Amino acid sequence: MERSSVAFDQNFSGAADFPALLRSKGLLASAPMEAARPAVAPYQVAPGQQKSWQPTEATTILAFKFSGGVLVAGDRRATAGNTVVYDRADKVLEIDRHSIMAIAGVPATAWEMARVLEHSFQFFRRTQLQEMSVDGKVRALSKLLRDNFGFVMQGVGVVVPIFATYDSHPKPEARLYFYDAMGAQFEAADYAATGSGSPAVRGILYYENNWGGKPLHKLSEKEAVSVALRALDTAAESDTSTGGVDRGGKIYPIIKIVSREGITTLPESKIAAVFKETVA
Amino acid sequence: MIEEPYRWVEAIANRREYIEAQLAPGSPIAAVGYRDGILFLTVSQTRQKLFEIYDRIAMGAIGHPGDIERLRMAAIELASTEGFTRSAADVSLRRLVHYSLSPVMKSAFEQVYGAPYLARMLFAEVGESPNEDLFLRVEYDGEIATNGATYAQARQDFAVLSGTRQSRELMEVFLKSQHAPDASFELALNSALDAWSVGHISLQASDANGQPDQAAVLKHRQEQLATSGIEAAVLERDAGTAIRYRSLSDTELRPLIHE
Repeated sequence: MERSSVAFDQNFSGAADFPALLRSKGLLASAPMEAARPAVAPYQVAPGQQKSWQPTEATTILAFKFSGGVLVAGDRRATAGNTVVYDRADKVLEIDRHSIMAIAGVPATAWEMARVLEHSFQFFRRTQLQEMSVDGKVRALSKLLRDNFGFVMQGVGVVVPIFATYDSHPKPEARLYFYDAMGAQFEAADYAATGSGSPAVRGILYYENNWGGKPLHKLSEKEAVSVALRALDTAAESDTSTGGVDRGGKIYPIIKIVSREGITTLPESKIAAVFKETVA
Repeated sequence: MIEEPYRWVEAIANRREYIEAQLAPGSPIAAVGYRDGILFLTVSQTRQKLFEIYDRIAMGAIGHPGDIERLRMAAIELASTEGFTRSAADVSLRRLVHYSLSPVMKSAFEQVYGAPYLARMLFAEVGESPNEDLFLRVEYDGEIATNGATYAQARQDFAVLSGTRQSRELMEVFLKSQHAPDASFELALNSALDAWSVGHISLQASDANGQPDQAAVLKHRQEQLATSGIEAAVLERDAGTAIRYRSLSDTELRPLIHE
């Protein structure tokens, strides 16, 4: 039978795993395992030579739980080395009605991963006639990262995401996870940050949570937005790869909130108002 | 058996007769367009009959659950793969059915040493406006019937599927006279439910070949709804999200039924 992208596969998998389906059709690249093992393995490098690859996670992404759910914020700058290539990048991506993946790392890989993830969740729901559990979703992203590690070892395609979602079972609550480049997942109790500007952000969020006016999980939406903007602005102050708030160009970070009702993207006017009042 | 052409024709005819008999008790499914989308409806005794295929595509089917499942999975795999590699806007029901499902069902049906697909399916794709809505019915032999969306003929904004040809035709006649295009959801729900009753009456009493009167339809509907549940789903024209499919529960529909 003639094969095209819409060819009917009579031995179709019937499986619930969308990435596996894509691979079987040759539509999802995976780095060969040989390539994943460079001539000089990173763990046996000569003393003094640290790594055979340089992580490029030039951005700042942060997320924390507040009274209205989880707030996820990301700056807008995309860089290639020392060059700013784009100042309106969206790194906070909606995966489904209740899930957000925010990315630090190589955009091409990260956006592809987000697309795979988005389709995986829909595919699972449509074929299996039930929603994938939160644990299943968290694991799906972990598996994509693991499968991508071959590319990371070749020095391309490192992605370090944050995943925020709202779980209705067993009890309704916001859930927040961060990952490392190999796919290990960590559930964050209060906050998570990733990207080159994250050390500064982590410091601020830790400080706010312990000695600020009130702990992060008690903040109102406005207070939460204010903390997020201040944190990103601080990160941008020392990290060239983080855009922060572009006062001249009026470019504000992307801020999204995950709650029981779903995902809300804060309009720029609202962010601008909070910025003017509490940050600038 | 198939060395001689007439034997092959005979084998095909037997197989057609067998499949028709198997499909005959299948409960009807009605899909009607209304102002804000397309409503799929059936009254089901047991298993689920209406499914989401992709963002704007839904399917209803009767037949063997195993075959329905294989075709449903294949349709979802095809649509999802296309939606992933290109975009959701490139997923088209016309292509899915004409280029993928129909040829496979036809060859399975005609290869008399293999098993045919024991299934009859009704697909709909919601468009930007009612006259872009597409309805396709696919038979076990790969035959495709449309609502006129692909040819220059009078378009219908509904499509039905039933166990027998007679039942289906009665439902079509009923909807042609009763279903107003651009109807409200409530009107569409009631005409779909009445169309289902018309089709179901015909299946239960095969000697009654005329259109039942209004009172008989109402009585039949009340009797059936006392023991069975309404299974329904909509493809919303403007849902504000990419996914237009939403299944409706029996309890939210009952108050809208005209007695």
